[in-house]
Amino acid sequence: MSEPLLVLDNVAKNYGAIEALKGISFSIDKGEVVALLGDNGAGKSTLVKIIAGGLEPTSGRMLFEGKEFLAKSPAEAKAAGIETVYQDLSLCTNVDVVANFFMGREITRKVLGIPVLDERAMEQVVQKALASAGTRIPSLRTNVEHLSGGQRQAIELNRFVHFGGKLVLLDEPFAALGVEQTRRGLDMIRQVASQGIGVVIITHIMQQAFQVADRIVVIRQGVVAGDVARNKTSPDAVINMITGETLAGAGPAS
Amino acid sequence: MNPRTRQTLEFILDNLVWFMLVFVLVVFSILIPNYFQLGIFANIIEASSVLGVMSIGLALVIIAGHMDLSVESVAALSAMAVGILFCSSGIGLGIQLQPQWLMVPVSLLIALAVGGLIGAFNGYLVVRVKMSAFIITLASYIWVRGLVLVISGGRSAQDLAPAIRWFGIQRLGGLPLTAWIAIACFVVFSLIMAKTPFGRHLVMIGGNETATFRAGIRVNRNLVIAFVLAGTIAGLAGWLLAIRTSGATANLGVGLLFNAFAAVVIGGVSLKGGVGTLPGVYAGVLLLSAINTAINLMGLPANFTQVIHGLLVLAAVLLDAFKQTIRQRLA
Repeated sequence: MSEPLLVLDNVAKNYGAIEALKGISFSIDKGEVVALLGDNGAGKSTLVKIIAGGLEPTSGRMLFEGKEFLAKSPAEAKAAGIETVYQDLSLCTNVDVVANFFMGREITRKVLGIPVLDERAMEQVVQKALASAGTRIPSLRTNVEHLSGGQRQAIELNRFVHFGGKLVLLDEPFAALGVEQTRRGLDMIRQVASQGIGVVIITHIMQQAFQVADRIVVIRQGVVAGDVARNKTSPDAVINMITGETLAGAGPAS
Repeated sequence: MNPRTRQTLEFILDNLVWFMLVFVLVVFSILIPNYFQLGIFANIIEASSVLGVMSIGLALVIIAGHMDLSVESVAALSAMAVGILFCSSGIGLGIQLQPQWLMVPVSLLIALAVGGLIGAFNGYLVVRVKMSAFIITLASYIWVRGLVLVISGGRSAQDLAPAIRWFGIQRLGGLPLTAWIAIACFVVFSLIMAKTPFGRHLVMIGGNETATFRAGIRVNRNLVIAFVLAGTIAGLAGWLLAIRTSGATANLGVGLLFNAFAAVVIGGVSLKGGVGTLPGVYAGVLLLSAINTAINLMGLPANFTQVIHGLLVLAAVLLDAFKQTIRQRLA
């Protein structure tokens, strides 16, 4: 692969006098899984929101597929091929599974020139997508408010697998999942990556990061504290980077 | 609880207002002499057309998670605009267009445009300035009514041009055309809400605005459209009101807002947004109208209606809260 999928160049974000991100630089290749690690408040979610178009960076630039990129809204990021699964679930609990799956990109057919929802076609797609991922939801027509946390997260995960795009951002996607569902979720990520889609996954669980990621990027206090290939590091080394015991980027320890 | 009981309960909760309507009609038919007649039922539908149309717009905005208190005043302003232009006595200018029928589309367009403009103003402030819809539309409720008083000088316009009044007189299947217009509005907007992406998006915005924004739905655009629609529909209600009263007075339609509000809530629309359907709202409107008719037939002083409507609003909000607790039990 000649050029990276996404390049972050010194991306910074200030909230007034508070520097949430002081300048983040790293890159993601096509088909690569990058685990983004860091302590609470390190700025991981802020970074994801900037890439996904939910927040505008204060400075710095991004290159997506070699072109200058800045999404002003989630719609723009989505149009460019960036899918995001947020930490707090982004589902509308007052509508059913099918409506949530297709939120914002409903299948329609024209009746007298007016777009009309094609419920049957959408239901078939959702049925197929959920079945192939092994997710069981009793009825696709129940409102999401009646579903468990795990089922809700499964909808979101299946949504990104189905719609794909070019880059997927996952902000702690497994927080509400059981052991078996998490394993399946990790499989899904590898499967998505094998299709040439770049994946950024934020997680707190070291084991997950080492199971799924090709590369591990550690953020501490708004800067990249470490950027290493998974097979060249160990969980202990990464923990040291997160807590700051090895002063990476701060000169050699004496 | 087994799934079937739950489904039955949910079906009842979703359609509660229809059951209430049937119940009320049956009770009144048994207890009140002369209630059970086709003419009375036609009258119930006829009397609910203005309120019904206004409730559609209000319901759209509430389903999208916001509020529009200005619909009553907007309807009054539209009615006054039509009245001043096309009435021949009072403060009416008595403008005549040739051919006569041309006055129908022109007056309708004026009424809709007045409503749409105020709706756009409300929507812009809610979306761009991010002020609370409640406060903005409360302000509009006051200043638009003030504008009605200013342009009319507190006086009224009478004798609407016959070509326009024709809609209130001409009957089709026992109902005046104005009632058919209201029914058509309910059918069209029910379909829009249930079958089109726009309607689906409004419901989802009312449910979780952040999620819809993240999913790439243009939330602001949809909300502005909802407010413009609410205003435009209120303009249509004003046009119907002008036809019904054959003119416009400065205090035309006072109190309609609270009836519309009651109808919407009784119709099963949750004030928290995201829940409710327009057929339900129509049932709510019919329910209010059925009660009014009963009060008239029993010969109670008309002032009682206001007391009863107030209590109904209260009952509806309590019912809304009660339904939510039941739903949470079900979940």
